[in-house]
Amino acid sequence: MSVLRVVNLKYKYPDSHRFALNDISFTVEKGEFLGIVGMNTSGKTTLCYALSGLVPHFFKGAYGGDVYIGDMDVLSHEISEITAKVGLVFENPFLQMTGAKFTVYDEIAFGLENQGVPRDVMHERIRESMKLLDIEGLQGKNPFSLSGGQMQRVAIASVIAMQPDVLILDEPTSQLDPEGAEEVFRVVEKLADEGMTIIMAEQKMEKLAAYADRILLLYDGKLIEDGKPEEVFSREDLNEFGVEPPVYVKISRALGLRNEMSGLYPISLEQMPTERDIQFHPVTKTNNGNTTSELIVRDLHFGYEKGQDVIRGLNVTLSGEPIAIIGQNGAGKTTFVKLLKALLKPDTGEILLNGAPLSETTAAKLASRIGLIFQNPNDQIFKHKVIDEVMFGPLNIGQTGEEALANAKEMLALVGLADKADENPYDLSLAERKMVAVASILAMDTDVVIFDEPTMGQDVRGKSKVQEIIHSLHEKGKLVICILHDMDFVADTFGRTIIFSNGGMLFDGPTREAFAQEEALRLARVEQPNITKLVQRLGYDRIILRATELI
Amino acid sequence: MKKKRMWSLQFSTAAFVLIPAAVGINFLGKLFASVLKLPLWVDAIGTVLASMLAGPIVGAIVGVVNNVVYGFTTDPVSFVYAITQAVIGLVAGIMAYRGWISNVGKAIVLGVVVGFIAAIVSTPLNIMFWEGTTGNVWGDALFATMLAKDMPLWLASFADSIVVDVPDKVVTVLLSFLIFKGLPKNVKLMYDNQGEIERL
Amino acid sequence: MNNMTLYVSRDSPVHRVDPMTKLLFVFISITSTYILSDHLAVLGILLFTFFILLIGKVFKSILPVIGVSFLLIASIIIVQGFFHPDRATVLFEIGPIAIYKEGFLIAFLITLRVVNMVAAFGVLILTTKPDDLVEALLQKGLSPKFGYVLLSVLQIIPQMVALTGKITDAQRARGMETEGGIWMRFKSFLPLLGPVVLNSLTETRERSIALEIRGFNAKGNRTFLYERKNYRYSVPFRIALIAFFLAVIAWRVIS
Repeated sequence: MSVLRVVNLKYKYPDSHRFALNDISFTVEKGEFLGIVGMNTSGKTTLCYALSGLVPHFFKGAYGGDVYIGDMDVLSHEISEITAKVGLVFENPFLQMTGAKFTVYDEIAFGLENQGVPRDVMHERIRESMKLLDIEGLQGKNPFSLSGGQMQRVAIASVIAMQPDVLILDEPTSQLDPEGAEEVFRVVEKLADEGMTIIMAEQKMEKLAAYADRILLLYDGKLIEDGKPEEVFSREDLNEFGVEPPVYVKISRALGLRNEMSGLYPISLEQMPTERDIQFHPVTKTNNGNTTSELIVRDLHFGYEKGQDVIRGLNVTLSGEPIAIIGQNGAGKTTFVKLLKALLKPDTGEILLNGAPLSETTAAKLASRIGLIFQNPNDQIFKHKVIDEVMFGPLNIGQTGEEALANAKEMLALVGLADKADENPYDLSLAERKMVAVASILAMDTDVVIFDEPTMGQDVRGKSKVQEIIHSLHEKGKLVICILHDMDFVADTFGRTIIFSNGGMLFDGPTREAFAQEEALRLARVEQPNITKLVQRLGYDRIILRATELI
Repeated sequence: MKKKRMWSLQFSTAAFVLIPAAVGINFLGKLFASVLKLPLWVDAIGTVLASMLAGPIVGAIVGVVNNVVYGFTTDPVSFVYAITQAVIGLVAGIMAYRGWISNVGKAIVLGVVVGFIAAIVSTPLNIMFWEGTTGNVWGDALFATMLAKDMPLWLASFADSIVVDVPDKVVTVLLSFLIFKGLPKNVKLMYDNQGEIERL
Repeated sequence: MNNMTLYVSRDSPVHRVDPMTKLLFVFISITSTYILSDHLAVLGILLFTFFILLIGKVFKSILPVIGVSFLLIASIIIVQGFFHPDRATVLFEIGPIAIYKEGFLIAFLITLRVVNMVAAFGVLILTTKPDDLVEALLQKGLSPKFGYVLLSVLQIIPQMVALTGKITDAQRARGMETEGGIWMRFKSFLPLLGPVVLNSLTETRERSIALEIRGFNAKGNRTFLYERKNYRYSVPFRIALIAFFLAVIAWRVIS
């Protein structure tokens, strides 16, 4: 019998006229690994909720069709009975910690205590699941003191300890940095090898291509295709559904490499044909020649505590084409941009904006010259309407109401939210809220724009929007500086890249050269872009940044 | 929101999760007020918001938990005022349910009423525990002046509480009202949601 | 990381007493000082409370906590000393102002009571881990859901406080001023508080989901990860406390 059976599932959230899920049917067998792909509004999360009983029991709303877990139907059972059989892990690691437990060990026990598991069994299961998730070393720590990747593994352990028949992972790495994401993928792979039945919604297609037995492609609440990964990823119309295929498919498509028997593209390194000779024509992005503002940093030192410098003697001139800053967490990137924005005061050294030292001005005054877009939009949004939120900054720096409104509208259009101007920002998705925050800074029309992690949590369309925004700012003669973890995006978008490590710069120069610096990349714990790695693994000694550079 | 049963003791999980969040909001309101050197406490925004969202009983629980936790972590004297906070939650919840948060004017009235009732509840506590003072400089100065003019202790103590509580609660309720009006649909829905599952 | 408790980790006999007995002590110690109005008796109770704190090796830690109530105490002494309605006998005069004996005695009594209140709570707070107390209450029949509420407050508030720096940075980056006239400062209250409020309320949804997933609403018997340590002397201690309390009431009734 199937572990899970979904029959003609339809669902509408209360107060909504749109079907979040529209007539979906599929089954999952024991031990299968099922991937779910689709853009941000496709219904992936709602489907995960439906499989764990939260839809309809927690959300209410209108529900049609049936979901069976084994022989238990979801509609007539309570959430606690369902979650005993289906474990769900979702995006935000922080919110999955219950908050009522002071150590990782006790946190894992929370669900077991509620289920009434006998004490000795409880201890045994906690130990087993900690071992499986490789978090034994964290057992005495406070859950909230952990990194995102560690927290997410604790969340998985807490669910696994309840011994569900199926594990559902809803984009478990979308809010993690690359290192944390790798930690999580490693344990997911381990669980899959152990024969666990897993359903995972995910944006990182390379991972799904590697793990999944089958892929569900969702779009607008409908199930577009239920098939093998190579079948789904070989669809020529994949981009229309807001899904980007894995890098292997992209390259093969650029080169016209299909499997002659099946007509499908290869989805892994092993499947790549080696006989085909690849030609390259690297395209170097040319600077448009616009002059921008210039930031000069001289011998900059800064530490939050005495004697512990986070920034150690930085010298750099920032101007001209858009610049990417890469490097692992804790390298000092965010501290550096806060110094550029004068939110922090340097211990020694100076920063000049167009020749004038920043030390002679305050952060609030600088607001009209340098814009800084923080990682988390939730740290700034407080207005009831998107448009008012975007106008807050412009009005603060002395734009008139009309100017502010005009700028706000223009920028909302640029970030693709023109039709959401009157909505409540918190009714939008996190990815859209990030765009609101972007617009709210851009509307201040500053000469310098600094982004901290603009692509995190964005799907393919969101990322190409960010790329468009960066190009358009550059066209207008603004200096753009961008902190990034997404190397594929860096390769595709930026001409100049700075590698940051340990409060200093390991490299500053053209992006193509940056990704050739093996030693510097290793020290900064940054990986090459997927496409670059792939071309090298195929045996070519070239640094390739885009699929279009292949012939 | 009218369908919601005001006195239901069947709390949803969301209501239980709301309580710590509301206590945190109280705490931060107080923190920001002191960082910005505002002459008010503004330490009940969470309590008032919780009662607007989830009804008087949840509001009252927030009030009690707030002072118990504050007593446990900062100032044991605040245990005494747990009752006052509970009543603030209760009154705000009942009046919100009866429509006293439909516009700014009504919200101000709600603030005044909450302030008055807070003072009525605090006065016997103040008299019982410390013969009528409150520890607030302005209020106690008025208290002393009234005693010097030989007014009765209870009246002086009540006046002491009124001058402190009413302005503070008006501001608190007004800010809560502004925030409440701006809450996203998905939050309001979650707390209104006594709805049934509609079968398609 | 600060998780918001005043608990002082020491190895002392007081730390080992079970939380329920300490809770009973707090109640009896405070109510007794309000039942009795004899200065010496109240002083005696206060000294006994201090003595317990000393045994618990936490006497020093109570001083800042008493300090929090300093304004209240100062106000009591000044206001009652000068203006208490029963004023009749002048104790001494400072210039034109007279301090009255009746008011001063009352102020002194109240001060003793307030200090005892803080110190008695201190016995509980400084020597008991909050999770031990909640655990004890749970096993006495407190609903686990309320247990969750009490414990999560202690963890959630520091998380929310940690956001304040980020929010201040984000709003200053948008040109908001946090200094200036009172109206200016008042105007920045909402941009600062707003994001935390909206976030924490929006987040209640996902946090509820997280709890539901972990069987928060499961019916049936719940189990506990840790076995309750039985404290050997709780019965004699509780009997002694109750006997004392009965004596206090009897004395009050007789005198």
